[in-house]
Amino acid sequence: MNNSLPRLIDGMVATLRNEVIPRVEGEFARGQAYGVIYMLNSIRLRADWSPGFLGEQIAALNELSQTLETQGVDAHRLPEVTAPALPDLRALEASRDEGDRRVCGLIDWLEDHRALLPTTQAAAIEAALNHYMHRQIRWELKTSAKPMFAEMSSGTD
Amino acid sequence: MNDTLPLPERPVQYTLPGPGELQTRLATYLHGCTGEAWTIGALTRYAVGFSWVTYGFDAWVAGSTDARGFILRLGPGDGLFAPYSAQPQFDALKTLEGGRVPVPRAYWWSDDPSVLGAPFFISERMPGMAPVPWSSGKDSGFDLDYRQRIGSQFVSALAALHTTPLTGSSFDQEGITTANAALRQVDHWAALSERWALKPYPMMHKALRWLRGHLPVAPRVSLIHGDYRLGNFLEQDGRITAILDWELVHAGDPHEDLGWAFLPQYAAGSGLICRLVPREDFIAQYERESGIQVSPASLHFYGVFSLVKIALTQIAAIRCFEDGTFNDMRMPAMGTQVVPALRQIEKLLA
Repeated sequence: MNNSLPRLIDGMVATLRNEVIPRVEGEFARGQAYGVIYMLNSIRLRADWSPGFLGEQIAALNELSQTLETQGVDAHRLPEVTAPALPDLRALEASRDEGDRRVCGLIDWLEDHRALLPTTQAAAIEAALNHYMHRQIRWELKTSAKPMFAEMSSGTD
Repeated sequence: MNDTLPLPERPVQYTLPGPGELQTRLATYLHGCTGEAWTIGALTRYAVGFSWVTYGFDAWVAGSTDARGFILRLGPGDGLFAPYSAQPQFDALKTLEGGRVPVPRAYWWSDDPSVLGAPFFISERMPGMAPVPWSSGKDSGFDLDYRQRIGSQFVSALAALHTTPLTGSSFDQEGITTANAALRQVDHWAALSERWALKPYPMMHKALRWLRGHLPVAPRVSLIHGDYRLGNFLEQDGRITAILDWELVHAGDPHEDLGWAFLPQYAAGSGLICRLVPREDFIAQYERESGIQVSPASLHFYGVFSLVKIALTQIAAIRCFEDGTFNDMRMPAMGTQVVPALRQIEKLLA
C-alpha cells in the first residue's frame, strides 16, 4: 500500500457512504456499516503505519549500505538511514497501564493518609493527581472522532 | 440485571438460533404453554438496544385469522451484561400491569437456554416509535407542543413507577432498605468494574472512592427502572404507549432514576432533561405527583453514580468486543464514550 493511512481511511469511509450503504437492505445492517465508518474515523486520529512495518524497510536499507560499503561505494552514496530506536508499542501500553494502576493506588493512599499529612502537602499531591487525570482525559478527547450514534441507530444519514 | 445471580469469570456461551429456527422453536414453545397450535410469522430484528436482542413477530392461533403482535427479547450469552435472567423484567412488567405506568403486557418467560437458545421473555408488541436519543444539533429536535405533552407523561410515568407498591413482589425480597440502597448499587457496579475493565481508569477509581464516602439515605425504597431515558419509551400520536427496556430493574433509591435521566448524554446539548423538560419543571412535577421530595445532595450523588454507571456500561462494551465473541460495531463505538463520561465526572467532583 502506497497511500497515506489517513487518505486510505478517508477513501474507505467515502466508499462505504456513497457506494455500499445506499445499497444495503435493513436498518440493522446499515447501522453496522455506520459503525464501521465511525471506528475508521476513530482509528484515523490515532494510527499510522506501524514502526515495525517501516522498521523492516529501514533495516533492509542499512543492510544494503553495509554490503555496498564493503564494495567500496562512496559513503555519500550509501542509503544508510539513521533512525531512532523503535518503540515496542505493546510494552509502551503495558507501562502506561501499570502507571495508571499506581495512580489508582496513590488516590487510595492519599485518602487513607490525608489526616496524617500536612494540609499543604496533601493539597499539592491531590492537585498533581487531578492535573494528571485532567491531562489524560483532555488528550483522549482531543484524539477522538465525532460520534455517529444517530446514524448507527437509525441506519440512515 | 438480577442482583442475586453470581458473576462468573466469563459469560456462559449460548448459541442464539437464527430467525428461521426461532420461528420453529417459538411455535413449539407456545404450543407447550397454551395447548394451542400457533403459526409464527417472520421475525424482524430491531436495531435498537445494546444488550438484549429484540425481535418483533406476528402469531396466529391455528384456525384464527387474528394476528397478534409480540416482542421476543433474548439475553445472549455474549451480551453486554451476560449472564442474563429474564425473570426481573417479567416480574417488573407483571408488577406494573394495569397500573399508571404504561408497560407492555408480559406473557411468558424462561431462563432455560434449551428453549430458545438464551433466557427470554415474550410480551405484547405495543404501537408507537421510540424517539432517537441522539441528535446532532443544539436544539432538542422536538417542537414545544411535543415536548410539553410527551415530557409531562414521561415525568408522570416515573412518579407512578416510584410510588408503585412492592409488597408481595419479588423486588420486596431483595433486602434493600433506605439505609443500604446506595451502597448496594455502588458495590454492584464496583464489582462489575473489576470484571470488565481491561485497564485502570484513575478517574473512575476516584469516583468510586467518592461515592463510598458520600452515601445518601433514600427517602423510600422504590422500583427503579435503571435506564429511564429518551429512547426507552414508545410514543404514538402524542401519547407514551409503553416504557421499555427493563433489564436493569431493581429496588432502590428513586433518586437513582432521576440521576440517570438527568445525564447530559441524554440532553444532547439542549439544556433539557432528555431533550424534553426543563430541569426545574421536571423536579416540580415529579415531587407534586409522587410526593417524594427531591434531595439536591442525593441528586448530586446519583448524578456522579450515573456517570460511573454509564462509563462502566461502555467499558463493558469494550470488553465484550475485545473478547471476540461477536462483532457488533456498536460495542467499540460505545467504548469511545468512556472518556467523555470521565470528563463529566471530573467536572462534578471538582
